[in-house]
Amino acid sequence: MNKPVRILLADDHTVIRQGLRLLLEREPSFDVVGEAADGRQAVSLAEQLRPDVIVLDLAMPNLNGIEAARQIAARVPSTAIVVLSMHADESYLLQALKAGARAYLLKDSADSDLIAAVRAVSDGKGFFSPAISRLLADDYVRQLQERGAHDSYELLTSREREILQLLAEGKSNKDVATLLNLSPYTVETHRANIMQKLNLHSAPEIVLYAVRKGMIS
Amino acid sequence: MASTERVRSPIRLVLLAGFGGLLALLAFAGLDTLEVVREIEHDNNAIRQEFLDRNRTLNEIRGSLYLSGTYLRDYLLDPDAGQAESHKATLERTRATMDAALAAYGGRVRGTERAPFEKLQHDLAEYWSTLSPALTWTPEERRARGDAFLRTEVYPRRASMLAVADQIADVNERQLNAGDRRLADLFNAFRRRVRFTVLATMAVGLVLAAVSMSHTLRLEREAHARFVEIEHARQELRDLSARLVETQEIERRAISRELHDEVGQTLSAIIVELSNFSAALPETAGSALRGHVETVKKLVENTMGVVRNMALLLRPSMLDDIGLVPALRWQAREVSRRTGIRVDIATGPLPDELPDEHKTCIYRVVQEALHNCARHADAHVCRITLSHDNGELLLAVQDDGKGFDRAEERGLGLLGIQERAERLHGRFEVNSVPGKGTLLTVALPLPVAEHQIA
Repeated sequence: MNKPVRILLADDHTVIRQGLRLLLEREPSFDVVGEAADGRQAVSLAEQLRPDVIVLDLAMPNLNGIEAARQIAARVPSTAIVVLSMHADESYLLQALKAGARAYLLKDSADSDLIAAVRAVSDGKGFFSPAISRLLADDYVRQLQERGAHDSYELLTSREREILQLLAEGKSNKDVATLLNLSPYTVETHRANIMQKLNLHSAPEIVLYAVRKGMIS
Repeated sequence: MASTERVRSPIRLVLLAGFGGLLALLAFAGLDTLEVVREIEHDNNAIRQEFLDRNRTLNEIRGSLYLSGTYLRDYLLDPDAGQAESHKATLERTRATMDAALAAYGGRVRGTERAPFEKLQHDLAEYWSTLSPALTWTPEERRARGDAFLRTEVYPRRASMLAVADQIADVNERQLNAGDRRLADLFNAFRRRVRFTVLATMAVGLVLAAVSMSHTLRLEREAHARFVEIEHARQELRDLSARLVETQEIERRAISRELHDEVGQTLSAIIVELSNFSAALPETAGSALRGHVETVKKLVENTMGVVRNMALLLRPSMLDDIGLVPALRWQAREVSRRTGIRVDIATGPLPDELPDEHKTCIYRVVQEALHNCARHADAHVCRITLSHDNGELLLAVQDDGKGFDRAEERGLGLLGIQERAERLHGRFEVNSVPGKGTLLTVALPLPVAEHQIA
């Protein structure tokens, strides 16, 4: 059996924290190593405990979840961040991704998705609540229909689609190069082409795009 | 109002009376002048005529008197008896003429004339009675006594009577002068009256001018005071409405936050707890019980969705958490989803930090504009542009709807938009032509510090 996944819980609501701990501890491979009641505490505990995963509420007093995520991502890069949010909106999702989050969960489906999300990020993948993926995908399709535009995804070659999928799952250029047996330079070129064709400007936007397309969830 | 009404009416009466008086005075002066001029003209003519008539009559008397002497002399001294009789007849006619003239003059005699006239009458009677015996004389008698009679009786009497007639002429002349003087007096009196009337008119006019002037000035002051009052009240109303909008915004934000953070979090906790409850159920628990737990969970999830929507509709949390543009994009997506209108948003580079009230203003203006688009404009595409230039936030909302006539549309929340923009010293414009869509623009000046950062 693998080493248990060490988890830090950060939420200002005690009841939720306790509920989530109970939920997570039902998984034998999960180990909740600490709880933080606000953003600042979350950052210092993350630095101190260096957990594999931190489950972070977006709305917290004393340093909000986004800022806490940014600091944790910078100081403890080995910790994968799962964001819990009340907001089913792409602006929050994009902001969370920019801050370094690997998973974005809506609180109303936290109970059913949390375990899957923690497992996904501990495997180096991304995870997004099906509800928000659906929402973003619907918006995306509607926008395409409104504009009568073709999905620029059609412009991608099959190799580019493969690389997009891997990048969206959180793999680095180097990981992708190894997996596909390509040189990192070639992957970088593909990546630049993909971003140009899809009119994307950053790694979080690639992820957001993939979520919209329903490529990952 | 009632008190000024009371103050104003006596002044109105005074002015009315004053102007009435002034006009009456002018009318009186005019009529008086006409009357006096006519009177003077008439009097003048009458006096001249009278003088001429008297003079003529007097001259007739004098002439007759003179001639009577001459005819008497001819009668007395003419050697031809026939001629003498003819002279006598002429003398008789002359006497008749003189008597008529005397009678005529007698009717006109007045004042100081009376004494000399009576003397003339008396002398004339005496003259004729002295003369009458001579008319019965025989030709011999006439030859013998005629010459002496003429020299001793007739000529002296005639001379003295002519002197009396001269006296009367004198009196007559004096009366003419007196008449002239009377006219001059009349004229002088008239001049005095005219002078008085002019002075009085001017005085009344001056008083009236002063009263009307002060009245007008007072009205002007009152009007100005009222204008200031109204302007003040209007400003207060604007402030009040701004405060209302502000308060509403604060309330909405508070309720939205409360719904999100408290109600939402509690509902999440319930969901998590339900999940734990369901996991804690023994294997033996019936599927009915599990079904109930699932139903409760579904209900709570739905409630959570409702609460989240309510919170977002009140005030989207992105506006405070992330920024204006994400909030606008959310709204655009919402409107799109609800109405099928395609909403495009294009933004230029914006300052990192926008003041709260500017964000709110732009957000609410866009909300109102999109609302109009959806409700009234019958639009298919709505294009929102937000940019930053020269220290100003520039917003444009353009739709391809049916447009409207600004003059006829007072509603549509345009007034609210205008008030919001003006509150931040901004400008607001609507260009709409029926059938050609609507372009709504707002320019908000940013506080100096903000756009320097940008």
